Amino acid sequence: MAFLEVKAVSKDYGGVRALSDVSFQVKQGEFHSVIGPNGAGKSTLINLLTGLARPTRGAIVFEGCDISSRKTHEIIGMGVGRIFQNGRLFERLTVLENVMMGHSARKPPSLLRLAYSPRNASVDQAESREAALQMLERFGLAQYAGRQIGSLSYGSRRLVEMAKVMVGRPKLLLLDEPAAGLNSGEVERLMSLLQVLRKEHQLSVVLIEHNMNMVMRLAERITVLNFGKKLAEGTPAQVSANETVLAAYLGEGYRSAAL
Amino acid sequence: MNKKNAKNASLILALVLSLGAASLLPNAVGEYWVRLTNAALISSAAVLGLNFVLGYAGQISMMHASVAGMGAYAVAIGTVKFGLNPWLGCLIGMATAGAFSYVTGILLLRLKGHYFALATLGINVSFIIVVSNLVEITGGSNGLTGIPALTILGFAFDSERRFYYLALVAVVLLAVFASYVRHSQLGRSMIAVRDDELAASVSGLNVTAVKVTALTLGGVYAGVAGVMFALHARFVAPEDFSTSTSIVYLAMLVVGGEATILGSILGAFVITFLPEWLRWLGSAYLVIFGLLVLLMLFLAPRGLAGLFGFAWSKWKAQLSSKEAGKWRFSK
Repeated sequence: MAFLEVKAVSKDYGGVRALSDVSFQVKQGEFHSVIGPNGAGKSTLINLLTGLARPTRGAIVFEGCDISSRKTHEIIGMGVGRIFQNGRLFERLTVLENVMMGHSARKPPSLLRLAYSPRNASVDQAESREAALQMLERFGLAQYAGRQIGSLSYGSRRLVEMAKVMVGRPKLLLLDEPAAGLNSGEVERLMSLLQVLRKEHQLSVVLIEHNMNMVMRLAERITVLNFGKKLAEGTPAQVSANETVLAAYLGEGYRSAAL
Repeated sequence: MNKKNAKNASLILALVLSLGAASLLPNAVGEYWVRLTNAALISSAAVLGLNFVLGYAGQISMMHASVAGMGAYAVAIGTVKFGLNPWLGCLIGMATAGAFSYVTGILLLRLKGHYFALATLGINVSFIIVVSNLVEITGGSNGLTGIPALTILGFAFDSERRFYYLALVAVVLLAVFASYVRHSQLGRSMIAVRDDELAASVSGLNVTAVKVTALTLGGVYAGVAGVMFALHARFVAPEDFSTSTSIVYLAMLVVGGEATILGSILGAFVITFLPEWLRWLGSAYLVIFGLLVLLMLFLAPRGLAGLFGFAWSKWKAQLSSKEAGKWRFSK
């Protein structure tokens, strides 16, 4: 049984077909990348995987459970974590509070618990605070803990978002262009962090990225989308040697660069 | 750590001093001013509740006065018609207001933004119509009289000065609990929902549940305000819980400073007292009142609390630059 299975999924928006009959599988612990030109349907795919949109046809099965009609917070609660394309953090919370929000799925906020067992609530609070501080430490962000999000650089904000997702201990991590807007040093840092975290948590990853350097170095399998259809799937070596992929997305320049 | 302890100690000292001053207040001013202060404290309770709904969770509720009305009528009907103990009436009032908000939230919070605001406005209007027409139970537009006073061991809170202490304790407790909620996962979740609903749900939050919880908690606070209102005036009538009161609560929160506990209380006091301070203007006072509120919104969009926070940080910065080292209380 596959860990994550996308089964013949199509998605229409009005008359526009954003995804057409796309299938692929992700094994447990696999680093899977989805690439393709802008408008190929990559973000639509991630929205389907997180319940922000429903497939028009087909099914998405995560750990043997059909999640295509589940609510977003339920899917996240099953062990899925997602990073947004342009970063989405809570501006009115501090860095630490933002990271603590990553616990929401495992410990849903409850008024009854607050009112009737304040002691348990304060234990929860201390635990999630401790976990968040540790994660900030891991990401080299501990000194920003008390700061407002707005005062951080773009690169640091992306890392905070990553720390927030990791605090929720996901089994499957969905990354929507995590390297966009980062400088090359920050991209290197992000890659090494991803590799370490992956090993530590037996994490499966679906990565959407235009940075081919990152994709080729990290991914074990690649699915290529073009105009909502699956163009190819294979190992990085297979994909970068595929004539249709070169023509549609990577370009002739990539062949010479890769050689 | 030392610095933090010193800060906490001075904060507690400031609190104790201001509570001490507050407890002496009724002896220093006339009965009329105590009455106004009581009204301001009752409004504070309601606005602290609205702060969960609008200030934290970002939902514009225009029915807050009717929720308070639920609490007020529950205690009034319970004590006058069924002869219940007023303390039991208080509990029933709070529970009624909370349950009313919870059900409304379940039904209406699938509506977003302005649609929710309009729907709650409709609820407040309906509430007034229903209460005015159920004459048998609510006394219609004449209201209900003869609500007994609260008593503890024979001490009745039946005068302005006596009621003041009760109201003060209630508002302090409500404010402390509000601060506790704000710094819990629930408080953070409410703020997250207001900041970015999509990101909140992708963080694993059940956004609707968080909104319903905020509305319910706000409803219980409004219920406390309603109960206090009924036991203070010892009389309830529909017009005290009309949509215009709901709008006044919103104005109090915005003028005081959304999403701050101090601001909620400040706003309630300023909006209650301002008409009195502007009395010498005669009938022109409403114009000046409106202009002042507008000016406030332009000059201090984060409200009075934001203004104070700004002044405080300036003052602190000045101290630390001018007298570096001199003003250290702790190592």
